Amino acid sequence: MSLIETARLTKKYNGNAAVDTVSLSIREGVCTALLGPNGAGKTTTLNMLTGLIKPTEGEIDFNKNYAGDRRKHIGYLPQYPKFYGWMTGEEYVSFSAELAGLSKKKAKESTNKMLSLVGLEEDRRKKVSGYSGGMKQRLGIAQALVHEPKLVILDEPVSALDPIGRREILELMKTLKQHTSILFSTHVLHDAEEVSDDIFIMKKGKIIIEGGLSELQQKYQQPAFFIETEKAMDNWLSSINEKSWVRQSKLDKKKLTLTVEEVDTARDALLKDPMLHKLKLLKFEVAKTSLEDLFMKVMR
Amino acid sequence: MMKQWGVLFKKEWTESVRNFKWLWLPVVFILLGVMQPLTSYYFADIIENFGGLPEGAVLDIPPPSGAEVLAGTLGQFSQIGFLVLVLAFMGTVAGEKSHGTHLMVLVKPVSYFNYLTAKWVHILLISLSSFVVGFAGAVYYTALLIETVPVNNVLSGGAVYALWITFIMTLVLCLSALFRSTAIVAFGSLGTALLMSVLSMYTPDLMKWSPGMLSSHSQMLFYSGDTGDGFWVSLAMTIVLITGIMTLTIYMFNKKEVAGHTE
Repeated sequence: MSLIETARLTKKYNGNAAVDTVSLSIREGVCTALLGPNGAGKTTTLNMLTGLIKPTEGEIDFNKNYAGDRRKHIGYLPQYPKFYGWMTGEEYVSFSAELAGLSKKKAKESTNKMLSLVGLEEDRRKKVSGYSGGMKQRLGIAQALVHEPKLVILDEPVSALDPIGRREILELMKTLKQHTSILFSTHVLHDAEEVSDDIFIMKKGKIIIEGGLSELQQKYQQPAFFIETEKAMDNWLSSINEKSWVRQSKLDKKKLTLTVEEVDTARDALLKDPMLHKLKLLKFEVAKTSLEDLFMKVMR
Repeated sequence: MMKQWGVLFKKEWTESVRNFKWLWLPVVFILLGVMQPLTSYYFADIIENFGGLPEGAVLDIPPPSGAEVLAGTLGQFSQIGFLVLVLAFMGTVAGEKSHGTHLMVLVKPVSYFNYLTAKWVHILLISLSSFVVGFAGAVYYTALLIETVPVNNVLSGGAVYALWITFIMTLVLCLSALFRSTAIVAFGSLGTALLMSVLSMYTPDLMKWSPGMLSSHSQMLFYSGDTGDGFWVSLAMTIVLITGIMTLTIYMFNKKEVAGHTE
């Protein structure tokens, strides 16, 4: 049973759909990435799940096992988390815990646990206004987790960080995956590939591709050939394009990327082709297209 | 539920302790309150020394009564005091909205009723405490330098004026919750206070019900121990309006979207 499900979720601003009939199903116990370029409607979608924005149409169902106000079971880190700068890190996390209904004692225990999890024990008594960007992001994760939510929603958790901060947060997310379900948005495919199990790709308010990471990789990673020759390939290519085993070809000056149905047939046919030899081969490489190619293609 | 209210209230309290609102607001009111009896007492001397009167002119200003001085004090509170209070609290919700600090609070299972009423009670507590200490200062120096005003008159007049402050500060919270711009909050609440006072002054018959009448009722209490005509109407109406504004604010805040459209 999924943790949270949406049915035809839609949000319109002045008649324009920022999120358009999105049906998501987030599984419990996995890390799900919502992937898409800026302006795809990722933040709006997440905000509807948290309840900060009301959908124009559609429904959101949280797992029936977790009753009551959905916000009790969700931890949220906005894209640009803004804290009360006059509080210390420790005070903020404990404030968040008590807001979520933890008793003072439990809030304190949980705060200690979270601060050590995100590595802020040493700075716990410093004012948040003096924290660096990476520290704020970690504090944001601590406050999102402190009430032990069933689902943690992170909006672009790494995009504002420098490479080191990025690394830290991704590693932290891998640790979190063991304990709780995560839904995070990103516009970087690589981040999604690194930590997530399920991926939803959004574009212009719609979900255009969805599935498990390995499933998508298998489905969209196609065998391909990189061919380089000394002479121009144009004429030869038009004859090759008619072959049944060719899916797609992309010629960039004297470099050709040829996506094919199946490696063996294609390799045999290509290597036996006398025309190709006359073009004076420089390079002949068997490879696979990556999700990146797919991502770039759908994003265009 | 109550516990959460306490957590939110404590946050407000700690915040205004750390940014010294709990210090400087009372100080402003004490200064305003003490100034009135002092200037009244030394008025004749001040005019004589700095007034530039022609040589030989005899100045005979009757000293003001204690009630007049207290009424003048409330006048100071209504002008400078309100301005300071409104500036101090116009951002109570609007500021959180424009910074975005409210997002991580309201995304928790926080009731909007608790969020708003905790702020409301805190604002009233700090405003009324400032008023009480400032007014106590005025009463003390009036008794010391001018004359004593009957205790009952002072207490009842002060209580009626406190209700007028409550009304204005409720308006501040309401506008702050519903608008993002602190300028709207400041102009809206100060403008309403001014409009209500002016209308009450010039068309008291039409404005019997108005909360703006409360400050003139409180002044009459200082003079005579009695309120003017229509006191109970304006008292009841003010309480109704305060309740109505709070209910409406909470209702509208619930209907509004917490997060704006970002992309």
